[in-house]
Amino acid sequence: MDYTNQIREIAARLLSENRIDVFIGYRKTGFDENHLPAFITHPNATGDLVFTEKSGFNLTNYLKFEHTRNKRVGLVVKGCDSRALNLMLTENQVKRDHIYIVGIACEGVVNEQGEKAQNCLECVMPDPVVHDEILGVPSGKRDYQANSDVKELWQKDLAERSRFFEEVFESCIRCNACRHSCPLCYCAKCCIDQETSTLYHGANTTSSAFHALMTWSLHLAGRCVDCRNCEKACPSHLPLHLLHKQNEQVIHEHFQGHLAGMVAQDRGAFYKYNLNDPDDFIL
Amino acid sequence: MILSSNTNTNEMNLTTYITDPAGLEQFYSAVIGAYETYGPVETFGKFEFRKITSLAGCNPDPPILSSMSVKALFFPRSAKVLRYRTTSSGTELSDTAEDPLAGKRVILGVRHCDARALEVLDRVYKWDYIDTDYLNRRANTVLISTRCDQAAAHCFCTSLDYDVEHLDALDVAIVRGTDGKIYLQARTEKGEQFLKQHPPGPADAAGTSAEQLRKQYVTFENSFRLKMNYKEINGQMQNKFESPAFEEASSTCISCNTCAFVCPTCHCFKISDERIRDEGVRYKSYDSCNNIYFTLMAGGHNPRPVKYRRWRQRAMHKFVYYKERFDLNLCVGCGKCTVSCPVNISIFEVANRVAASMQ
Repeated sequence: MDYTNQIREIAARLLSENRIDVFIGYRKTGFDENHLPAFITHPNATGDLVFTEKSGFNLTNYLKFEHTRNKRVGLVVKGCDSRALNLMLTENQVKRDHIYIVGIACEGVVNEQGEKAQNCLECVMPDPVVHDEILGVPSGKRDYQANSDVKELWQKDLAERSRFFEEVFESCIRCNACRHSCPLCYCAKCCIDQETSTLYHGANTTSSAFHALMTWSLHLAGRCVDCRNCEKACPSHLPLHLLHKQNEQVIHEHFQGHLAGMVAQDRGAFYKYNLNDPDDFIL
Repeated sequence: MILSSNTNTNEMNLTTYITDPAGLEQFYSAVIGAYETYGPVETFGKFEFRKITSLAGCNPDPPILSSMSVKALFFPRSAKVLRYRTTSSGTELSDTAEDPLAGKRVILGVRHCDARALEVLDRVYKWDYIDTDYLNRRANTVLISTRCDQAAAHCFCTSLDYDVEHLDALDVAIVRGTDGKIYLQARTEKGEQFLKQHPPGPADAAGTSAEQLRKQYVTFENSFRLKMNYKEINGQMQNKFESPAFEEASSTCISCNTCAFVCPTCHCFKISDERIRDEGVRYKSYDSCNNIYFTLMAGGHNPRPVKYRRWRQRAMHKFVYYKERFDLNLCVGCGKCTVSCPVNISIFEVANRVAASMQ
């Protein structure tokens, strides 16, 4: 999967035709093999752009920042990124005519060890669901499969599971990188930043980590697109996908196979009410 | 100003002991048996300093840098300051002197960059406010570590002005010789006393180890990919406050604060209360200048409302301000921030870019 040349051409074209103010893509770090996001504002600078299976970071995250919010932006999205973008459009965070979307029919990205990332192995939608132009050959929607780590976790008994999560919350340093790296966490003032709150209160204690992470994961229930930006950002390498994938699974099961961001203007499981919604899981 | 530990290195008679890998393991076991010991423990694929009771589960010479620095054992990510209770007659305070990290202890596997960072921090903690908690923890701790054999991708510690060859920030430096032997060097008076009590092997009376140590150091120094002239960078950055390079370099930053939390020298903190009804605990926890709320004042004014200004503060504090005030660079070149950064922003790259930029 290498669309470096095509992306350079597209970015140069868009910038020279003055259709966008900034193009957000990836570039090489110059220090290692990793790719990092790049903001290109001049057609002559597009030679820095690259795109390969190492271009993992979900760039739609940048659409929530003040310095891109009121600009015309061109950006590269993979399947999961485009689902996040779909949700941002639905939730009125981005204006469709302000962005030019270069969709990639994704073949999966690799993790730091060079192996195909787990979310790519379990990907339901590798093709961009919203795009202005598409690179690569779309391979279509795949069947939803339950996450193997969640399966493994549920095989453990309650005490063991609770010990596992205690370890997770103990290791959390409350830097909030997970939230900052999530494209769908765009609130101007996040509830877990309320310094006076008795639940979150900013101290890096296990209890505040528990409340912050649980609140965060519930605010993303039915919205998380499994791009794993949070996990890539976590300096403690916490398995944050376990929180999201469990929610995703429950929602997929109870809400007619709902998956976040697959359809434009789909308001999501928790935003719509249907008389046929199951309620047997409520006490 | 000269480092206090550097000044007496030559005057003191510091001993080097020679042993083999098995002897080193015995030494570690003896230390763990005799003291409250902390060491790098693998959790979720990274190394973290935890209290250990045996070598099982702990790797005193981890293959990668610990994700969090050893700073957390001196300046914990959340320290209880006091407990309070409000009553009709006023507020009662308790537990003000409680400190779980105050005991005599040994920390294994502290990389030299982490240990060096503590020396840098000592300056600020001994400055206008004397932080007795921090200084007690420092005085009661013996730092023992193996010297790196190979620089990692983002390391640049040798580019900063300190004596990597002698590793004086550590109390005991362990060097793996190319001859298969292990050399344990006392680097401070504290380390000398410690090794005297727990001799890991015969002392090197004849000084034959010097050449082995030198050889190891040269190999290590040659393994660095990132090199810069730090004094030049420092001088150039002084005049680059208005440089547009800050805005360019920080454009992709997502303000996630990770860099500050993992940094071995970042020492900003916030105070927050965990309160239930009339009782509560007051905590001192890490904060970051990359956080938009960091400089937000009660009246609503924020002197650093945009990202690049916060980034500029971070870079300038690392390479200029701290140096001006305390004569030491606040960045120790460990590369932890770059490794942890979700978008791979490198402080090395930013410093060089700003220094080279036009005003």
